[in-house]
Amino acid sequence: MLRSDQILSTVEMIQKENLDVRTVTMGINLLDCRSDTIAKTCSNIEEKIISFAGNFVATCNEMSKKYGIPVVNKRISVTPVAMVGAGFEKNDFIEIAKTLDRAAGAVGVDILGGFSAQVEKGMTQTDREFIASIPDALAATEKVCASINIATTNKGINMDALAIMGHTVKDLAEKTADQGGFGAAKFVVFCNQPGDNPFMAGAIHGVEEAEAVLNVGVSGPGVIARALERLISNHPFPANLQFDELAEEIKQTTFRVTRCGELIGRAVSMSLGIEFGVVDLSLAPTPTVGDSVGEIFKILGVDAVGAPGSTAILAMLNDAVKKGGIFASKTVGGLSGAFIPVMEDSVLAEAVGEGSLCLEKLEAMTCVCSVGLDMVAIPGSVDADTISAIIADEMALGVINAKTTAVRLIPVPGKEAGDEVNFGGLFGASPILPIKNVGKSSRFIAWGGRMPAPVHSFKN
Amino acid sequence: MEKQMIVSVMSKDRPGIIAGITGAIFRLGGDVADLNQTVLCGYLTMILSVSFEPSTTKEDVLAAISHIKTESKFEVSIKELTEGELAEAVLPPEETYILTVQGPNRGGIVHGISLFCYERNINILDLATTLEADQYTMALQLDLKNCTCSLEVLREELEKHASSSGLTIMMQHNDIFQVTNEVTLH
Repeated sequence: MLRSDQILSTVEMIQKENLDVRTVTMGINLLDCRSDTIAKTCSNIEEKIISFAGNFVATCNEMSKKYGIPVVNKRISVTPVAMVGAGFEKNDFIEIAKTLDRAAGAVGVDILGGFSAQVEKGMTQTDREFIASIPDALAATEKVCASINIATTNKGINMDALAIMGHTVKDLAEKTADQGGFGAAKFVVFCNQPGDNPFMAGAIHGVEEAEAVLNVGVSGPGVIARALERLISNHPFPANLQFDELAEEIKQTTFRVTRCGELIGRAVSMSLGIEFGVVDLSLAPTPTVGDSVGEIFKILGVDAVGAPGSTAILAMLNDAVKKGGIFASKTVGGLSGAFIPVMEDSVLAEAVGEGSLCLEKLEAMTCVCSVGLDMVAIPGSVDADTISAIIADEMALGVINAKTTAVRLIPVPGKEAGDEVNFGGLFGASPILPIKNVGKSSRFIAWGGRMPAPVHSFKN
Repeated sequence: MEKQMIVSVMSKDRPGIIAGITGAIFRLGGDVADLNQTVLCGYLTMILSVSFEPSTTKEDVLAAISHIKTESKFEVSIKELTEGELAEAVLPPEETYILTVQGPNRGGIVHGISLFCYERNINILDLATTLEADQYTMALQLDLKNCTCSLEVLREELEKHASSSGLTIMMQHNDIFQVTNEVTLH
C-alpha cells in the first residue's frame, strides 16, 4: 500500500487541479481509400473511419469512468488528404472534407484533423487544387481541421506556398465573417510538422505511421500552477527557494500528469486492439480560469506576461515539462512542450488587452516553446502579404532552430486592434492584437521560389 | 512440502522485538517471506508469513517465541495455511480502488465507511488513518471484485454518503496512484 501523503497529493491533483487527459486522438491511414471516382473514394473513407473508430468514443468514456479521470476530447487524425486524393480537383477535395465531417459526426468525435498537405519543397498540381479548396471546405464543414507544412529544417521554406498562405488565411476568415472569422481558427501553417501530434488543429496521421495508432495528449497547466503555488507558500525556508527548485517541481509534477495520460491511453489502446503511439505532454491551456499557461509566468515572477524575463521563464517551463514527460512515458512524441495560444488562455488574452504582450514578444517566446503564434486574433484589415510575412518569420525560427513552429492567425473581419472577438468554448476570446508595419512586406513575399535549407554546423 | 504459517505478535514496543522473534524463527529453520509491523500508542503489532519444514508444528513456534526473554509479554497467535489458501493470488485484483475519506474528527467515521463497504460486499485490503489538527483522514484500499453494485452506482452512493456525513470522500483506481508515485511503469 502507498503512503497516505502520496495518496492525498494524487487525490488533490485529480480533484482540485483540473487534471484531465486533454485528448485521445486516433490516427487512421487513408491511403488505401483512393479509388477511380471521387464518390467511391469518399465512401471508402467513410467506411474505414467508421470501422476503426466506431467504438472509440464509448471506449474512451468507459476508461475515463473506470479511472475517474475525464478524457476531454476524442479526436481523429488522418493521412494528409492531399496525398489521399492525388489527382483530384478542388471540388473533389471539398467533397472529401464533407465526407470526413460526416464520418467524424457518425463516430461522435469532437474534431478531425488531417485535411492537410506537405509542400515544404514544392507543390504538385494536386497540392495547388487542394490548397485552393481549403477556405470553402472548412466553411462547409464543422469538425474538420486543416494544416499545411510549408517548411522543414532539411528543405527550407517553400516561398510559393508561403505567398498563398496569407490569402488562404484571409479567405477562411472572410468566408466565416459571420462567426468572427472562426474558419481561420481551424487552419494552421507549420514548419517541421510532426506526424503523431494529437493536438488540434495541427494533428495529422503521418505517412510514416502504422495503419492506425492512438496518441494521447495530456495537459494540465492548472496542475503545474497549483503545485508551484503550494511549493512557494508552504516552503519551510522561503528565503532559500530558488529557480532550480521551481524547475524541479514542474518536472516532477509533469511526470505524474504524464503517467495518468499514459495509463488511460494504453487502457483504451488495449481495449480497442489498436497500437499505442505516443504521449504528448503539452501544457495546453483552456479558457477555464485556473487552467492557464499565462498564470504560470506570473507565479514564476513576472507581474505582466510579456515583461522582460518572460522568454526565459518559458524556456525553463518548456524544458522542465519535456524532462518530466520523457522520463514518465515509454513513448513520447508529438510536440511535448508548452503552448501559448492567446485566445485559449485567459491570462494571455488579458495581457494582449493590457498591451503587455505584443506580436514581437510572442514571436520571441515561440523560439523556446512548442508551436508558435497560435490563436492570435489580428485586425481584419491586415493584408494577405503581411500575414504571409508573419508566417515567414515564424517558419524561419523553426527551420533554423530545428523545431516545430506553427502559425494560426485569425484576421477578424471588420474588427480593429483593441476590439474583442469571442469564439466561445475551448477556442476562447481575446482582444485583437495590434500589428505594426502592415503592408510593408509585399516585395519580399512576391519573390516566390524557395528559401534554401540552412547549414547544420557552425551554429552560433 | 513446506508448511506455511501466519504468525501474529503483539507487545509493548521496545528495541529488539523483531530481532527476537525472527531469531526464534531462524533457529527453528523457518524462512520469513513477508513481514508487516506497525506501532500505535506504544504498542507494536506484527504479522509474519513464514515457511517451515513439514515436521515443525505450531506448538514448536509458540514455544520458541515464549522462550524469548522480555519484560512485556508477547501475545501470539499462529495459523497454518491450507493448500487452498496457499493457491490464492497474492497480487491485488484488477478492481482495486483507493478510497480517501477526510473530515473533522468524530466517533463512528471508520465504522460508517467500513459498514458502507460491508453492505456492498466490498473487501477492505488495507486501511491507514491519520489524525492531524482534528482532521481525520482515512485511506482504504478496496477490492471491488465482488461488489454488489456497478461502479457508477457505487460512486453515486459514495457521494450521497459524503453529503449526509459531511465527509470528503474520493475513490480512484489503484493504478492511478501506482503510476503517479512509482518509477516503474507496469
